[in-house]
Amino acid sequence: MDWSLFFGELVSGLTLGSIYALIALGYTMVYGILKLLNFAHGDVYMVGAFVAFFVLQWLGGPLSPAVTGWLAIAIMFAVAMLACGALGVGIERFAYRPLRNAPRIAPLISALGVSIFLQNSALLLWGPQFRDYNTFDLIGVKSYSIGKNFFISNVQILTIAASIGLMIVLTLLVSRTRAGKAMRATSFDREAAEMMGISVDRVISFTFFVGSALAAAGGVMFGIVFGQIFSLMGFTAGLKGFTAAVVGGIGSIPGAMLGGFLIGLTEAFSTGYLPGGSTYANLYVFALLIAMFLIRPSGLLGSPVIRKV
Amino acid sequence: MRKVVVAAVLAAGMAVLATAAWGSAKAPQGASSASNAGSALVKCGKTRLIGLMAPFTGPAASIGINQVHWANFYKNRYNRTHKKKIKFVNEDTMLGASNGTAEAVKGAQALGSNASVLGVVGPAGSNEVKATTGALKGAGLVFVSGSATNTTLTTDGTRTGFFFRTVPPDSSQSKSVSAYMVNTLKVKRVYIVDDQEAYSIGLADEVQALLKAKSVSVSRDGVSQSQSDFSAIINKIPRNTQLVYLPWQLPPKGKAFGQQMKTLGRGGIKLMGSDGLFDPAFSGLGNHVYDSFFPLNTSDARVAAFKKSHGGNSELFGAPSYVAAQVVTGAIDRACKDGKATRAEVRRQIKKTNISVKTSLLGLPVRFDGRGDIVKRPFGIYHSVKGVFVRVA
Repeated sequence: MDWSLFFGELVSGLTLGSIYALIALGYTMVYGILKLLNFAHGDVYMVGAFVAFFVLQWLGGPLSPAVTGWLAIAIMFAVAMLACGALGVGIERFAYRPLRNAPRIAPLISALGVSIFLQNSALLLWGPQFRDYNTFDLIGVKSYSIGKNFFISNVQILTIAASIGLMIVLTLLVSRTRAGKAMRATSFDREAAEMMGISVDRVISFTFFVGSALAAAGGVMFGIVFGQIFSLMGFTAGLKGFTAAVVGGIGSIPGAMLGGFLIGLTEAFSTGYLPGGSTYANLYVFALLIAMFLIRPSGLLGSPVIRKV
Repeated sequence: MRKVVVAAVLAAGMAVLATAAWGSAKAPQGASSASNAGSALVKCGKTRLIGLMAPFTGPAASIGINQVHWANFYKNRYNRTHKKKIKFVNEDTMLGASNGTAEAVKGAQALGSNASVLGVVGPAGSNEVKATTGALKGAGLVFVSGSATNTTLTTDGTRTGFFFRTVPPDSSQSKSVSAYMVNTLKVKRVYIVDDQEAYSIGLADEVQALLKAKSVSVSRDGVSQSQSDFSAIINKIPRNTQLVYLPWQLPPKGKAFGQQMKTLGRGGIKLMGSDGLFDPAFSGLGNHVYDSFFPLNTSDARVAAFKKSHGGNSELFGAPSYVAAQVVTGAIDRACKDGKATRAEVRRQIKKTNISVKTSLLGLPVRFDGRGDIVKRPFGIYHSVKGVFVRVA
C-alpha cells in the first residue's frame, strides 16, 4: 500500500469535495423549497469566481495588493458572496417567480436559459481567456510535509476548513434561527407556511441568496486552489454539484455535504487507483450517480417521497 | 398496440439501414466529386474573401485569439500596401468545447456554401482538421493550418492537395524533443501526460515510442482539457521521476499543472511542454521548465511590430497563422491574375507557393511537398531562464 498516494488523493478529494459540497448545497436548498433544479447555479459559481478576481484587481492585483494577502482574500470572499447572493435573488425574481405556478418543465427550461445567458454574458464581458488569481504571489502557497511523503498546502487547508465552517454556519442557520425555521416550514408545505403568516416570497429569495453566496464561495476557493478561472468553468462544476446533491439526497443539507465529499473523493481516488482513472474520472463519477439512482433513488440521506394513490 | 410499436420499431430500423446503405453507396461519388469540386468561376473583385477558422471562443480561445490576431495583422499589412484587399470570413470553431468538433464542421459548411470564399486559413486543431475535411474538400476549398501538427494529417492521403500547414509535423517535434531529453538532459524516467486531444495524443505517442527505443522508462497518463485540478494525477507521479512531459495546447493549464506540482512537493522535477505551451505563463514557472517550439524567426521586424501593436504581447503561437494567411493570399493573388478564379485554381497555386526566407517569418523558406508539409526543420528547444524561454538547441 502506497500511503503517500493514498494520503495525497485523500487531501485532493477533500479539497475538491469541499467545493462540490458548497455548490450542491445551493442545488439542494432551492430544490427543497421550490422543487426546482436550478441549472443556472453552476454559472453563479463562475460569476462568483470572476467577481473575486476583479476585486483582487481593484485591490491592486496579486503582486502589489493594497492590503495584506489574507485580508484581500477575505474581501474577495465577502464581495463575491454578496454580489452572487444578489444575483441569485435577481434570477429568482425575474426568471423563476413568474413561472412558479406554471407546469414544472417551464422553470426548468427557464433555468437552462439563465445558465446559457450567464455563460455567454461572461464570454462577452470578460472574454474567453483564463484569468489567474496568482495565489502564489498573493499569499505565498506553502506546503507542509507530514512525515516524509505527505504534503498538504495552506490553500488546501483553507479550502477544507472554510467550507466546513460555512456548512456549520448554514446548518445552524437552518436549525436554530427564525429564518431557518421559515425555510423548513416553506419546504415542508408552502401553502400552510403562507397561511401561518410566513412571507414565502421572502423566504425563497433568502434561500436563493444563501445558496448563491455559497456557490460564490466555492468559485473563489476554486480560483485560489487551482489558480485559474474561465467563463465556461461553471458547466462541469454545476453538473458535479448537482450529482453530489442527488447522491446525498436532494433536498437534504447534510446529504449535499456528504455527496460533495463523496464525489470529490471518487474523482480523486479513481484518478489515483483505477485503470485509466485520470482519463475516465468523470465516467466513474457519473457511474456513481447512475448506481445511486438504481440502488437508492432518494440518495444517501434523502427520504423517499410518499404519494397518496 | 404492441403490434403497432413493433411495426414502428421495424420501420425505423429499416429506415436507418436504408439510409446507411444509401450513404455508403454515395461515398465513392462524393470522393470523385471532391476532386472536381471548386470549379465554379468567381469574380475576384476588389475584395477577396478568405475563411478564417479558429477558436475565437471556448476553452482554447486563449491560443485561438493569438492566431486571429496574427492573421489579422497580416491582413492589415497586406491591405495597406495592395489595391486589391482581402477580408476574412470568421468562423468560430470553439476548439475543446463540450460538443466536440460540431462548431468547426458547421463553420466549414458555411464557408463551403459561400461561393465568394476562395480559401481558408485554419482550422487550428488536428482533430478539427480531421472533422472538417469532408466539408471543405467537398466544397473544393484549400485549407492552410498554422497549428495542426498531427503527423497523420498529411500522411494518410485523405486530404492531399487540399490541406497544407505552415508548421512542421509532430514527427519533427517528437524527434527534437526526445533527442534533447536523452542526449542533453540524460533523463531515464519520464512521465507523459497527454490532454486527450488528437494533437496531444499523437505527439505523446511519438515521443513515448522514441524514448522507449532509447531504453528510457516512460509512464503515461491523460487529463481532460477542461480540467483544472491536477492534484490527483500529480499524486501518482513517482517521486524519482526526472521529467514530466506535457504535450498540451493551453498554456494556463500548463501553468496550473506546474504550480500544483510545486504545492504537492514535486517542484524539483523538470517540466517540458510542447509548442502549445510556448508562452510566458508556462516559462514563468521557473528554471526547471523546458519547451519545444516550431521554427520561427523571432528577430524579424514584424514580430516587434506585432508586439508593439498588441500591448507588448508577442503571442508567438499565432505567428504561423500569419504565414498561413500569407500563403492563401499569395495563391489567390496568382489565381486572380485575370480577374476571375476558381477554388481549384487556388489549390493549384498553393502548391506553387515559394516564400523566401526573408519574407516567410519562419526563418525558413515556405514551400510545400506533395503531401502538404513545409520543408522540414527541427523544432527548437528552449529553456526557461528567469521566466523567459531561451533557445538551447
